[in-house]
Amino acid sequence: MRNERRSLAVALAVLGLVTIAAPARAADEAAAEAPAVALTTADLKGISTPSADDLAKGDPGGTLTGTAGDIVMADPKAGLTLADVVNQVGQNRIAINFVWTLVAGFLVMFMQAGFALVETGLCRAKNANHTMMMNFMVYGFGLFAYWVMGFAIQQGGSAGISNLGGMNPLNNEFKLSLFGKDWGLFGTKGFFLSGNTYDVGVMVLFLFQMVFMDTATTIVTGAAAERWKFAAFAISTFCLGAITYPLFGNWAWGGGWLSQLGVNFKLGHGYCDFAGSGVVHSVGGLTALAVAMIIGPRIGKYNRDGSPNAIPGHDITMVLLGCFILAFGWFGFNPGSTLGASGNGNLRIGSIAVNTMLAGCTGSFGAILYMWIRFGKPDASMSGNGLLAGLVAITAPSGFVNTVGSAIIGLSAGVLVCLSVEFLERVFKIDDPVGATSVHGTCGLYGVLCVGLFADGTSNYGGSWNGVDGSVRGLFYGDPGQFVAQLIGVCTLVGVIFTLSYVLNWFVDVFVGQRVSADAELEGLDLPEMGALGYPEFQLVTPGTGHSVDVGR
Amino acid sequence: MKALGLGLVVGGWMVAVGGLVASDAMMVRLVAALAGLATSLAGITALNSAHIETAVWKTRGH
Repeated sequence: MRNERRSLAVALAVLGLVTIAAPARAADEAAAEAPAVALTTADLKGISTPSADDLAKGDPGGTLTGTAGDIVMADPKAGLTLADVVNQVGQNRIAINFVWTLVAGFLVMFMQAGFALVETGLCRAKNANHTMMMNFMVYGFGLFAYWVMGFAIQQGGSAGISNLGGMNPLNNEFKLSLFGKDWGLFGTKGFFLSGNTYDVGVMVLFLFQMVFMDTATTIVTGAAAERWKFAAFAISTFCLGAITYPLFGNWAWGGGWLSQLGVNFKLGHGYCDFAGSGVVHSVGGLTALAVAMIIGPRIGKYNRDGSPNAIPGHDITMVLLGCFILAFGWFGFNPGSTLGASGNGNLRIGSIAVNTMLAGCTGSFGAILYMWIRFGKPDASMSGNGLLAGLVAITAPSGFVNTVGSAIIGLSAGVLVCLSVEFLERVFKIDDPVGATSVHGTCGLYGVLCVGLFADGTSNYGGSWNGVDGSVRGLFYGDPGQFVAQLIGVCTLVGVIFTLSYVLNWFVDVFVGQRVSADAELEGLDLPEMGALGYPEFQLVTPGTGHSVDVGR
Repeated sequence: MKALGLGLVVGGWMVAVGGLVASDAMMVRLVAALAGLATSLAGITALNSAHIETAVWKTRGH
């Protein structure tokens, strides 16, 4: 009896499958048999468009606006031709991608406001003007450096970005030939955006890449806050925007050697970093670590026995508002990194946006849970840092993973950032007032590795990535080579980018001096460095030191 | 000490990249990359230790 029931169930299942498959097969056969009919210019002649009288009455329903009458004709006397229609389709695709990328870039630019609020809120009131001004001026210093040479070094050899029209003027990459392979090192086209790089597509790419670079530079200001000489900050920011950031940007995104690890060494799809956990956040975070080492901890941060003291920030509302602004801007950061919304599998922007949202939320959840269990209270500033940690970690994998992967990545990054902050403060004795090294450095490197673990092989951005056919697949989905490629990327960030940042900032320390005087630090940097207080009608007292600043007299 | 630390940091990267050109075997490349990363992190630790020697809290105390 049981066997009969089982046979009946199997028969029904087979029947169901056949029923479902039959119409699909029939449709396939019909499509195969039906001859393709080419559209001709003659077909376009019969298309009616709304008359001028109809349009003059207004179009409240939106049914008359945007018809064949709106297609731009090369020769109005000849009427609408097939070439007009096809050209309009092509331009529409590029226009959609231009607008998408520009708007995403504008969102990323607004993240500067978020960083400024987070960092200023986590610092003491006596340094508010100085911290805010560093965040404000990275925009100017960084942009100038990137326009002069950074963009050319990073993207000068990146021709072939079809989403933005091809980027054909950016066609020269300096390469070394070693061990029978080409190792792309830096681009050479686009200095000052001059010559034939005066091109609409190049301008869009410049704007988008520039705001990314600016995000990296603003990470450093947090780690060195409350004791960084403003002149040293200016020079250090220029170096980062002109040399350090663009170099790694080229290796990962500009056709450089890391992106070619798949083509040259059969390591998955080469180093993959969708939106910049490595390029932006790790570069910024590792530079922050180098500067924090050179500049040393704030006076009062450590006791003579090496035990740390907490130095609370002055405005937690500012911090959390800044975190919200950053989370909002991240919707430009990650989905915008498709550099387009139309064609080449770019409709995955929906998935990327959800991954971004999920990882940020699970990141704050992971951090608050850790702090609550460990210290008995849900810590506000670490909840904010957990949100940012999740967002940083998902930045590289956001275009390659599914929602379960993104939730796991965010949650683990939220815990990781708490562990990293404690480790750096207690073991390494690194004084990082805002936790920038942990949020961006540690979680950035973690995000890079997560691509090599969680990429699920479903993305399809035009059928290939970094010149390797197929979609990116991590270790958990069957490609150990991708994990090794990501590891090489992490080694390069730690081994080369950290070293370069350290050496450049060591020179700044030798020739300019990185740190303000002890008197200026105790007084607060607003007056000695900036000449004006952030809060001129307050009396500012530093707890524990007895040092006070009387203002408003 | 600082120079030694920096040397280790860069040396770690060279070990990782050296593994790429030394062998086609994935396991060899993986081990080289992990060893390189560990070396670089050890270098950063050494560099930081050198900085701590002259840290402001050791000389001033608060």
